[in-house]
Amino acid sequence: MIDMKIAVGQGSCGIAAGAGKVYAALAEQGLGSVLTKTGCIGMCFLEPIVDIYGDDGQLKRLVKVGEADAEKIAKYVKEGDEEAVKSLEISPEDSEFLTKQTRIALRNCGIINPENIDEYIARGGYSAIDKALDMTPEQVIDIIKTSGLAGRGGAGFPTWFKWNAARQSVSDTKYIICNADEGDPGAFMDRAVIESDPHNLIEGMLIGAYAIGAKEAVVYVRAEYPLAIERLTNAIAQAKEKGYLGQNILGKGFSCEMRIKAGAGAFVCGEETALIESLEGQRGMPRLKPPFPAQSGYWNEPSNINNVETFANVAWIITNGGEAFAAMGNDNGKGTKVFALTGKVKRGGLVEIPMGKTLRDVIFDIGGGMRSDKAFKAVQLGGPSGGCIPAALIDTVIDYKSLSATGAIMGSGGMVVMDESTCMVGMARFFLDFTTKESCGKCVHCRIGTKRMMEILDRICRGEGKQGDIELLEELCVSIKDGALCGLGQTAPNPVLTTIKYFRNEYEAHIDDKKCPAGECVDLISYSIDPEKCRGCTLCAKKCPVSAIEGTVKQPHKIDTEKCIKCGNCKAVCKFSAVVCE
Amino acid sequence: MSCCCENKSDLTLLADVLNEYRSVKGSLITILQHAQEIYGYLPADVIVHIAEQTDIPVAKVMGVATFYTQFRFKPVGKYLIMLCQGTACHVNGSERIAAAIKEELGIEDGQTTDDGLFSIKNVACLGCCSLSPVMMINGDTYGNLTPDKAKQILRELKNKE
Amino acid sequence: MSENIINLKIDGKDISVKKGTTILDAARANGIEIPTLCHSEYVKAYGACGLCLVEGENMPKLMRACSTVAGDGMVINTMSPRVVRARKIALELIMSDHDGDCKAPCTKACPANTDCQGYVGLIANGEYKKAVEVIKEALPLPASIGRICPHPCEKECRRHIIEEPISIAQLKFFAADKDLAGDTYIPEIAEDTGKRVAIIGGGPGGLSAAYFLRRKGHSVKVYDKMPQMGGMLRYGIPQYRLPKNILDKEVALIENMGVELINNVRIGESISFEQIRKENDAVIVAVGAWKSMKMRVKGEEQEGVFGGIDFLRNVILGEKPEIGDMVAVCGGGNTAMDACRTAVRLGAKKVYVIYRRTRNEMPAEDIEIKEAEEEGVIYKFLTNPVEFTGENGRVNGVKLQIMELGEPDASGRRSPVPVEGKFESIELDSVIMAIGQGSDLTGIDGLDLTKKGTISADENSFVTSQEGVFAIGDVINRGAGIAISAIGHAKKAAIAVDAYLNGVDICYKEPYYSERVVTRESFPNVSEVSRVKMSQLSPEERKHNFDEVVRGYTEEEAQREAHRCLGCGCHDYYDCKLIKLANNYDIDPARFAGEKKTGYVNKNDFIERDVNKCILCGLCVRACSEVMNITAIGLVGRGFKTVVSPAFALPLDKTNCNACGLCVQLCPTGALQERSLLAKQVPVKEKPEKITCTECDKNCTVAVSYVGGKVARVIPADKQSLNCVLGRQELIERISKKLSDAK
Repeated sequence: MIDMKIAVGQGSCGIAAGAGKVYAALAEQGLGSVLTKTGCIGMCFLEPIVDIYGDDGQLKRLVKVGEADAEKIAKYVKEGDEEAVKSLEISPEDSEFLTKQTRIALRNCGIINPENIDEYIARGGYSAIDKALDMTPEQVIDIIKTSGLAGRGGAGFPTWFKWNAARQSVSDTKYIICNADEGDPGAFMDRAVIESDPHNLIEGMLIGAYAIGAKEAVVYVRAEYPLAIERLTNAIAQAKEKGYLGQNILGKGFSCEMRIKAGAGAFVCGEETALIESLEGQRGMPRLKPPFPAQSGYWNEPSNINNVETFANVAWIITNGGEAFAAMGNDNGKGTKVFALTGKVKRGGLVEIPMGKTLRDVIFDIGGGMRSDKAFKAVQLGGPSGGCIPAALIDTVIDYKSLSATGAIMGSGGMVVMDESTCMVGMARFFLDFTTKESCGKCVHCRIGTKRMMEILDRICRGEGKQGDIELLEELCVSIKDGALCGLGQTAPNPVLTTIKYFRNEYEAHIDDKKCPAGECVDLISYSIDPEKCRGCTLCAKKCPVSAIEGTVKQPHKIDTEKCIKCGNCKAVCKFSAVVCE
Repeated sequence: MSCCCENKSDLTLLADVLNEYRSVKGSLITILQHAQEIYGYLPADVIVHIAEQTDIPVAKVMGVATFYTQFRFKPVGKYLIMLCQGTACHVNGSERIAAAIKEELGIEDGQTTDDGLFSIKNVACLGCCSLSPVMMINGDTYGNLTPDKAKQILRELKNKE
Repeated sequence: MSENIINLKIDGKDISVKKGTTILDAARANGIEIPTLCHSEYVKAYGACGLCLVEGENMPKLMRACSTVAGDGMVINTMSPRVVRARKIALELIMSDHDGDCKAPCTKACPANTDCQGYVGLIANGEYKKAVEVIKEALPLPASIGRICPHPCEKECRRHIIEEPISIAQLKFFAADKDLAGDTYIPEIAEDTGKRVAIIGGGPGGLSAAYFLRRKGHSVKVYDKMPQMGGMLRYGIPQYRLPKNILDKEVALIENMGVELINNVRIGESISFEQIRKENDAVIVAVGAWKSMKMRVKGEEQEGVFGGIDFLRNVILGEKPEIGDMVAVCGGGNTAMDACRTAVRLGAKKVYVIYRRTRNEMPAEDIEIKEAEEEGVIYKFLTNPVEFTGENGRVNGVKLQIMELGEPDASGRRSPVPVEGKFESIELDSVIMAIGQGSDLTGIDGLDLTKKGTISADENSFVTSQEGVFAIGDVINRGAGIAISAIGHAKKAAIAVDAYLNGVDICYKEPYYSERVVTRESFPNVSEVSRVKMSQLSPEERKHNFDEVVRGYTEEEAQREAHRCLGCGCHDYYDCKLIKLANNYDIDPARFAGEKKTGYVNKNDFIERDVNKCILCGLCVRACSEVMNITAIGLVGRGFKTVVSPAFALPLDKTNCNACGLCVQLCPTGALQERSLLAKQVPVKEKPEKITCTECDKNCTVAVSYVGGKVARVIPADKQSLNCVLGRQELIERISKKLSDAK
């Protein structure tokens, strides 16, 4: 038996894919002594993942592991039977998903056990704060300035500038706050960092706290991330025990306490002033700016707010120097950015790449292109504040400026890939539905404006769109951008504006011809069976929830359009592509 | 302060939480979260009690509680199905999952089955986008759903009862 | 210059203000008004309404003036196209979610926009004089019009959803009669302008135009061809409907205001149209429609065939037209009814009304049809004259084609078609043709006409093809209508003429009003109360004379009837900041029509909250907590569904609300209001009077609003006066009593 370590990836999505059961099954096989947990490696499409480290340090990565595979793994571990796990080993192509990335923020994710501080320390953890405490706060800010690090949560504001502003504000009490209210639907890198490498966040925040002069750090985590809260709570306790948090850290005279505040379900709390309101126990409604939080924030004291990914880069920068970070990227963005690649892409997961790469690099090179044989249509970037970039712009360079030029934004890095079967009007409606539900309701432009946009999009999708609706939407978009109080409202029109900009013909098809070219809007489509192709297998009839399909075995079937509820089950199950949707 | 309800909750269950947070400013949301954990939802008498104990006007407590989607004012079923409304789930057909759940249980967002077994709540992105479409039931995440798979999961839970 | 002063430019004006001043305050201090609905000096800046947006030179984003501190060297534009667009959309969006009636449907249905709700409410409160004042803002002849108006207002009255509409017209003449009997109201007249206006035609339109223009200080002459003023009111409406002594009194009031009334003048005879134009700065043509239309039926030229309005006029002039015992009146309108009932009163034994459709299609007022029938009139529905037979040039009968109703025509009415070969004949002594009227424009030359032969005039400005010549009433466009329409023209034309005389180009513009859709369910607490019927002469008592048919309301009856009013129009219309802004920005909220929030009405003894009208400016919530430290109300819910509410939507009096009234004072719309002490809360345009309260030694300032002579509301006027030691109710009662005693 070789001396080894077996790490089971246990991020939320790994667990959802069954990693917990795999872990238990492996334990049952008597592998408990070498079994360990790790966070999320980011290859979500291969979960559950079991990494087996040999005593020579060699890694054998097994993917899509099921409970039933535990026996095989045990056989390999105990008997060295390579053949037993051959079929589970990651393919060379899938390995490229990781090898083509450059990982800084995610450097420990999926590698260390997030519940064990020693593993973090073993990889150089907490040496950056040690180093920073020997510098002056100004020197720390200077390094961050040199690095070119900008906010990874959405707006892309230079981090050093915010730190400096908070540093310059005179007060005995200051706060450093981490925005872990990762609300963009389609983004989950912050969750992955907290779940997989919580100490990296703690260390980044500590450095920030030292730089601005804060003695209290607060992490605002959204309520939907219970595992992240659990692991971070654990990490804070460990850091405190080891003297990295609390009074007189590392004996260098700097003190800082850290606590977690759980959000309660409000996307708008990702907006920094709304987040502060929420931290204070209020309705999370944005405040007027100015004053900015750096002058008057949490409890009216100078406060600095950065998101998780931003902080996750800080320790690395202090250790490796600002120049090393700035060496990656281009003039419009330094360092790396993490994207949550999802949707109709073949290989979905977390992708960290240096800025300056193109969308094609991420979607095709790393993501492997489309999952089905359908053509790539567009990619949605930046969530409800972002936009849809069409296939024609696939070579757009990934940096703040180039992405903004398309009408989308870098945002927090949600990257949802869409193929031909995604209706772009429906996509705009989806985001407006989201914004409408998440609008805090304070300002008129957002509260009523997004609602009206949603209603117009809804009627277009129902085939009740009117001439002039596109123009009406555009007019609303412009005024909402001008009039809304906070970033949520001001950017809410982006999904509509970009889809109109790049897919106007799809809007027109809905309004003029009452057709949904993607075949997604149920009111505008009908299903029928091509008698030439139908073999009469009866599968569709069995799957039809409303018994709208009739036919005898081996005879072409027929859909009763009166009964049909357009659920699409028949099309999904037909093995002969005989079900036509138009 | 009176309230319009007649529920009589055991307010002593909240004593520890109130003792810990009563005097910590900005703790209202935390207290409400604990209260919901204890009672399963926020009964009106509990809200009034929290207001009295924290010296926060009850109108304000209600304002905060109704702002956040996490808080509930009615009891929920034994199984709380949280259906992810994230972008990836949308693109991968979460609407068909919602339809399947409705077919199976006859309930939609915010409703509870008559037998008190299931409640559905549409929730913001659960962050398991690669497994989309996704739902979470009492903390367990179920991914890569199809309408059939979703129905199957619900039937299994039903059969357990 | 002190270091604490900064300089900036707003709308091109150089401005110096203290450091730290917001753009809004800087602008206000310099007479530049930036709109806002959510800002008040009582509370902290909030930034919800999005109306105070301004644009700064070289600044990419618009700024909220309420919260943005003015910076040195800023160049601000408060009315740039971008700003106006954002504000306009904000107002449209607010309105698209604002569920309330600015004005009552009765008022909007009235062609003269008479504030029906206003005067009905005042009558309910016993404020008759004030009621007449309110009426006379819209029409100068209420006693006459109240008697004869077909009252389109009542058709729209929401009370019909419950049982029957309010007797809006009859209440009007009740109040007007009281006014004429006592200390008659005469409106204030502006200082003489030196401008001269001639009005040709002394009917309801012409007289009203004279009245409105005279009020503005212009010198007005009314020319009329008949011996007395009043036009169709005098010569077309029978005495039994409008006793002429009433009309005389109302005409006299107009004369008393200084309007010169000149009768017996035919234009083109004693004075030419040209000369009138030369002598005056503006001319209004209001000659009406005095020509009876012909039927183009064989035999209609014979003796014994009369035109309807000619017949009525001759009777009123004291002539006795020879109609004999058997009379047929052709037509189904009000003139036909007047003619047949007059014929009955002249002693005819058999009076027929010949109408080619059925009773359902008759354009005449239902009450007229019914009363004529009571008086013995015989209806010949679905008949149409094809020939008036005669002997020796005098009519002796009519041959009628029997008709039936066919397919609906463009107007939706089923059109009558002849039943082939079916005829009926009736013996007659005379025929009165009341099928329509045309205008006689002899002597009035040079104006462009419509195909109908009426004067072509714009219905917002009432200008004609000739400079300085305006035209109103039955003589323009569609032709003959009802008196109140002509008065409506007069009211709007007066605005245009006055502007023209002042050298500006303004015409009447229909204001935007917010409107609710209601059903019976909208009135859960309203139970059925039937209309108070005005007593009148029995058919036997009335059919042989020209005595007025109705007897008028007693005071008790009038109040009882007026109490039925639902008070649909917003009580805060005249104080509403939202509607003022909405009309300033020319909004069209219909394009954003969609779901509205679901509101409710919540009251305590002092405050009534109508959530439907709330625009979520948050002023009430913030004032209640920031200023008063009470927090009886809060924001509940999120996003579009947010409402202002006490916890658990409890009624206000189950909360700790102390009814200080600050929320009411700050509310920019009618969502919050002080419940008044009056039976009916009436929206009237009156400035509250600020007085110092002497009930204790705090010397608070309170604003007292009156409706008529009665105290309606007492509201603290400033921050210091908010917490009354007496308690709210006591204060209101004491102050009302004191002030009422003083009055």
